[in-house]
Amino acid sequence: MLSVKNLHARIGEKEILKGINLEVRAGEVHAIMGPNGSGKSTLASVLAGRTDYEVVEGSVDFLGKDLLELAPEERAAEGLFLAFQYPVEIPGVSTTNFMKSAINEIRTYRGQDPMDAVQFLKMFKEKMAYVNIDQSLLSRALNEGFSGGEKKRNEIFQMAVLEPKLAILDETDSGLDIDALRIVAEGVNKLKTPQNATILVTHYQRLLDYIIPDFVHVLYKGKIVKSGNKDLALELEERGYDWIISALD
Amino acid sequence: MLEKTLVDSIKQNHSLTQAQQLALGKFIDKGFPTSKWEEWKYASLKHLNEFNWLWSPETLSVNFPKPDWKHSAIIQTLNGNTHSEGALPQGIALLSVSEFMAQNPTFESVWNARNPILDQNSLYDLNEALATDYAVLWVKKGVKIAEPLLHHYFVLGQQDTAVQSKIFIYLEEDSEITWFEQQRSESSHAILSNYVQDIWVSKNAHITLIKDQDLGQNITHVDHTFIFQQESSLVDAFTFSINAGYIRNNLHFYIDGPQVVSNLNGLYIPGEGQLMDTHSVVDHRMPHSESNELYKGVLMGNATGVFNGKIFVRPDAQKTNAFQSCKNVLASDRATMNTKPQLEIWADDVKCSHGTTTGQLSDEALFYMQSRGISKATAQTLLLLAFVQQVIDKLGHDEIRAELSDKIVNKIQASLGLTI
Ligand SMILES: Nc1ncnc2c1ncn2[C@@H]1O[C@H](COP(=O)(O)OP(=O)(O)OP(=O)(O)O)[C@@H](O)[C@H]1O
Ligand SMILES: [Mg+2]
Repeated sequence: MLSVKNLHARIGEKEILKGINLEVRAGEVHAIMGPNGSGKSTLASVLAGRTDYEVVEGSVDFLGKDLLELAPEERAAEGLFLAFQYPVEIPGVSTTNFMKSAINEIRTYRGQDPMDAVQFLKMFKEKMAYVNIDQSLLSRALNEGFSGGEKKRNEIFQMAVLEPKLAILDETDSGLDIDALRIVAEGVNKLKTPQNATILVTHYQRLLDYIIPDFVHVLYKGKIVKSGNKDLALELEERGYDWIISALD
Repeated sequence: MLEKTLVDSIKQNHSLTQAQQLALGKFIDKGFPTSKWEEWKYASLKHLNEFNWLWSPETLSVNFPKPDWKHSAIIQTLNGNTHSEGALPQGIALLSVSEFMAQNPTFESVWNARNPILDQNSLYDLNEALATDYAVLWVKKGVKIAEPLLHHYFVLGQQDTAVQSKIFIYLEEDSEITWFEQQRSESSHAILSNYVQDIWVSKNAHITLIKDQDLGQNITHVDHTFIFQQESSLVDAFTFSINAGYIRNNLHFYIDGPQVVSNLNGLYIPGEGQLMDTHSVVDHRMPHSESNELYKGVLMGNATGVFNGKIFVRPDAQKTNAFQSCKNVLASDRATMNTKPQLEIWADDVKCSHGTTTGQLSDEALFYMQSRGISKATAQTLLLLAFVQQVIDKLGHDEIRAELSDKIVNKIQASLGLTI
């Protein structure tokens, strides 16, 4: 589904991604871990199409398409979704209106008719139940004055609405209380099918208790320096990153 | 050059009163404003000297679509000539200023003492010199009309034409109207549309004034709206500047009594090749009154915007509350906005606040929206519409609000389409 090869990216003069290789197949869950500042969010942003980062080398294939050639909105329409580590405030635009625009632009891209108000409302109600989100939150300006947890929950709600083929969740577990973490994790599990895939960026084993990863990768200084199965996450929880880093140096 | 064609044309077509001759002399002395005039720094009209103006516009007829919502009357001002289309409601009359003054002999001296601020306003002089027996809309005592009065303001010409229009709205005590003015044009030639609107709001009277300015690219529209408010009167003014090559709005409020409320709401959305300049004056001359200014601007393409907001609180105007806010978004790298709040306060027991901001749409917000499948142009439009909504929402009349809202959406969408 996603094939990242030797990806190098920089911002200004600073190279942040220094040769990332990653293969994700349909039905898989990958966890990406790694110390602060190692480049996890940068990787997520580059995949989503943020233009502040310049890709200097490498390629990304997503479902047979050259992902790097596509505008961010085209990537979304092709089925890519990024849950932001820091969701952005959108003044004056409610989640409901925002999602209506998103759904209908994506449908137009895919050659489908726009959804009418009735269909939209029905679908919206279903998805609200998935992540246990309140109507009042959805009619407020998106992310404006939302608590940290509300923002994260809203990201998962948007994911439920858009039904992506590949979802990248950048520290969606950070800042969630125990109940919210469970709800978010259940939401992710409910949305899981053999046709889609998930990349979880996280610092904590806790999330991986709920969503069992098929692969765990360690990103360090812009490279994936170690990959393994779910046991690697347990080992990291116990021993930290030092043993991996010192083996490298 | 200007002087000669103007004087020749006037000699042919008009016989001027003494007051008009005086005004003409003033205009010829000063000429059109240039960028050297402080009040016209960003909105010079020097280029108007290059045209060979027709100073006495032709009387042409025009088809104006009627709205499908309920209105109480239609009044047309066509190249400076005002008449009503069909009957006016009970208690409202449209007559010439000479007739009006003849019927209100005691008012004339009050009127002459009104004392507006006319510094650096040579176009007002020009209008005074050329706008002859203009029309007065007279709203009688206690008359309250719920449905809007529609004003079709129209300029047109088959050659480069200078149009002087003037209208006076006189509201007697306890009266109430909504005046919805649609300013339009039709011309492939340059037009100077020089418009003076005086409004007298007597004790306890209330006017909602809505201006929808949607004029052609070759129109230079200068709008002088001077509002004189008496005790306990209320004015809700809205100015929507949507299209025109050049718009200058001189919107003045003279607060001549206590317990007055003046609300100024404005939205300007100039695009490629357009300049929109707002110069507001709120002159608090009497105590216990309140003024609220809310202006927003979206500047697209290579547009220029100007906002100059003057608030005067005179020594007698104790217990004044005056608020001013002007927020702008530059939706293009080539657009510019010049803002200047100007507060002069001589009374000590007053509450005044003002704030002006000019910013850009956040790249972070745009990327976030795009990452959900929304195209950049749609994302910009959504953010800009959310930004202007606050002003539109203040319109109480559903159909007018919907009509203007559509127009604003279309303009913003079209302009962004051009600049991407
Ligand atoms: N706009 C920028 N300008 C300069 N440096 C940047 C910019 N964005 C990111 N960086 C740098 O790139 C490096 C990687 O940042 P990134 O956010 O990808 O880390 P991360 O692995 O997600 O960290 P965390 O675990 O703290 O979220 C950091 O050193 C960061 O300071
Ligand atoms: Mg990060």
